[in-house]
Amino acid sequence: MKRKLLAATSLLAAGTLFLAGCSTSSPNSGTANGSEGSGTGTVNLLGPEDPATFAPVIAAFKAKNPDISVKYSQVPFDQLNPTLQQRLGAKDDTIDVYTVDQPRLSQLAAQGFLEDLSSLKGQTKAAVPDAQYSVNLYQDKLWALPIWNSTQLMFFNKKALDAAGVKHPSIDPAQRMTWEQVVKDGKAVQAAGTQFGLLFEQVEAYYQLQPLAESAGGGSGITGDKMLTTDITNPGWEKAMQWYADTFSSGLSPRGVGGFQTSPVFTSGKVAYFIGGPWDIGNFAKSSIDWGVAPMPYFAGGSQATPTGSWSWGINPASKNKAAAKKFLEFASFDPAGNLATTEAQTIIPANTAATAQYLPKLEALGGDKSKGVGSLIAHENTETAKPRPVSIGYIQFEEIIGKAFADIRNGSPVSERLKQAAQQINDAWKQL
Amino acid sequence: MIAATTQAKVTRQRTVAYLGLSVLGACIGILFLTPLWWTFVNSLRPGSDTFRYLNPLEWETFFTATPSLDNYAALLRSDLGLATLNSIIVSGITVVVGLAICSMAAFALAAIPFRGSGIVFVAVVVSFLIPFDAIAIPLANLFRDWNLQNTYAGLILPGLGNGMAIFLLRTFFLAIPKDLVEAGRLDGLGWWGIFRRIYLPLSAPSLIGAGLTLFLFQWQSYVWPLLNGTDSQHILGPIALSNMQGQFNVDYGVMFAGSMVLTLIPLAIIIAFQRYFIQSVSTTGLK
Repeated sequence: MKRKLLAATSLLAAGTLFLAGCSTSSPNSGTANGSEGSGTGTVNLLGPEDPATFAPVIAAFKAKNPDISVKYSQVPFDQLNPTLQQRLGAKDDTIDVYTVDQPRLSQLAAQGFLEDLSSLKGQTKAAVPDAQYSVNLYQDKLWALPIWNSTQLMFFNKKALDAAGVKHPSIDPAQRMTWEQVVKDGKAVQAAGTQFGLLFEQVEAYYQLQPLAESAGGGSGITGDKMLTTDITNPGWEKAMQWYADTFSSGLSPRGVGGFQTSPVFTSGKVAYFIGGPWDIGNFAKSSIDWGVAPMPYFAGGSQATPTGSWSWGINPASKNKAAAKKFLEFASFDPAGNLATTEAQTIIPANTAATAQYLPKLEALGGDKSKGVGSLIAHENTETAKPRPVSIGYIQFEEIIGKAFADIRNGSPVSERLKQAAQQINDAWKQL
Repeated sequence: MIAATTQAKVTRQRTVAYLGLSVLGACIGILFLTPLWWTFVNSLRPGSDTFRYLNPLEWETFFTATPSLDNYAALLRSDLGLATLNSIIVSGITVVVGLAICSMAAFALAAIPFRGSGIVFVAVVVSFLIPFDAIAIPLANLFRDWNLQNTYAGLILPGLGNGMAIFLLRTFFLAIPKDLVEAGRLDGLGWWGIFRRIYLPLSAPSLIGAGLTLFLFQWQSYVWPLLNGTDSQHILGPIALSNMQGQFNVDYGVMFAGSMVLTLIPLAIIIAFQRYFIQSVSTTGLK
């Protein structure tokens, strides 16, 4: 018995050592061993979207470059980052081009998971808005090319507002509503029989809640020369988060519905105001309710801020077909027709300026009269109020921890204490960087 | 008279207790069934109505007056059909080949005396005590070096040698009387003959139990196929289902329909073999 136990223990120890050896040595072994390749052949693209989303851009590219085929693989959205970390870490050369969530770019670049594209700086700067150029820079080098852009809008339920005698908000950014007014009107609409006054599409996502803190004067939450200092306990952040907590404790917003489960609640007519993205326009157009769209509100006396940023595409340094990958990337980002093709099957704003100009009227037409004027509103928000997420190699940890804090705050945690706790957790996580 | 009354009382009490327990059992059963039922009902209504009847709860939360099969029709246009087929292929081959390997290994450990069999058995036990997810990453690196990415072989191989299945089968084999082996030997059977003609026919229930273990390992496999490559020809059910959750919009109706399809297949298999499965698990410890 004793001998067996001894044997078992030694085996277990040997096994663990073997595993530890494999898992630590593999990602770091060797240098990036990719190559330019022939400029023809197959380019493997990896991303979280439905294959139908990228089929048009792949077909358009093939028509122009018959000797290059692009093969797309989909990874589930919530598994994209872990999968990329593992496969890029192992120098997996079956990925040539992959989608890069813009706030994660600096960490991917710092890890050596992105090919330096600095030779394309001039072309990129000329092709896209400034905010879309700068989010792809890390340590003054260009690491990915912007494909999509985004913003946030406020949708409203006309029937619900009419029932309470509340005026429809204007689509003119100059007459942007304040959050205070939204709460007041939302409560009036609730009193008139609509179940909820206000709902955010991504209730716990930094992307959508950052503008609250920005508008209240709290900043992005990350400061310092190296962008590794937390700043989420200032009065601006506390004000914004207290306001957010109150919308739930007062029953203006429902607690039980999670991020991206919310648009069905709006389309079922149970909500007065809904903060969502341009992708909702196409979606709502198919629903049976009567809706309108207005700019995202701001705090009275504060600045006007809206979310921005979306996805870029980068090249895997281990790719064995970089020349062809680069051609595809340039087509999808610089060529207005190519960039526009990435938005054919998915309602999202193209990053390329020329493509945006062609796209916005189409987007506006999607919702018919209901979304009239949304094209110029989005163009205005992109250039005037867009606040990009902070560029920091600690962004991933920041986003994860702050997301949990948002969840707790909306479920009733005391705001000030929870923010302090989050700040502490973020600092601890960053110490390991 | 008193004795008869007491007995009647006891019987009545027993009946009440029996009824009470049955009702309690039924209620707990219904609680387990509720999420699956809710998923099923919502797979029959459009995605935009999924959360419509959730708050407050009403009869329409759990029933629909206008069931439609649109979501199931939408599945036909998605990857789920191919993915389900792939899952069936991968799980099927794993069960057949895996059972052959595992039963032979279990037989060797249970019936053939050889030096070091204890160590081999401990290695087998340790192999299923380490979570597969923990070894998946280094294993994926090896598979990449061997060019097994995006191949059926790459998906099937990790499921073949299942420590749990070997353990289950070995325990069952140990219960087979050695006299039978001796008798077989006298009749001129070799090890293969003893395995093939004596052990296998006696072990149908435990083979079914081990087969289900192998099947479920592959059917639920999620991390491994993601690491091993995810091209559209080799996509598996759980990945295709997860892919339906887009980053901007989720059609819960279609997703629930997909979940139903992926749940019903193992459910049908488990219900069909449930008798053997329970039998195998309950008898593996008997001597």
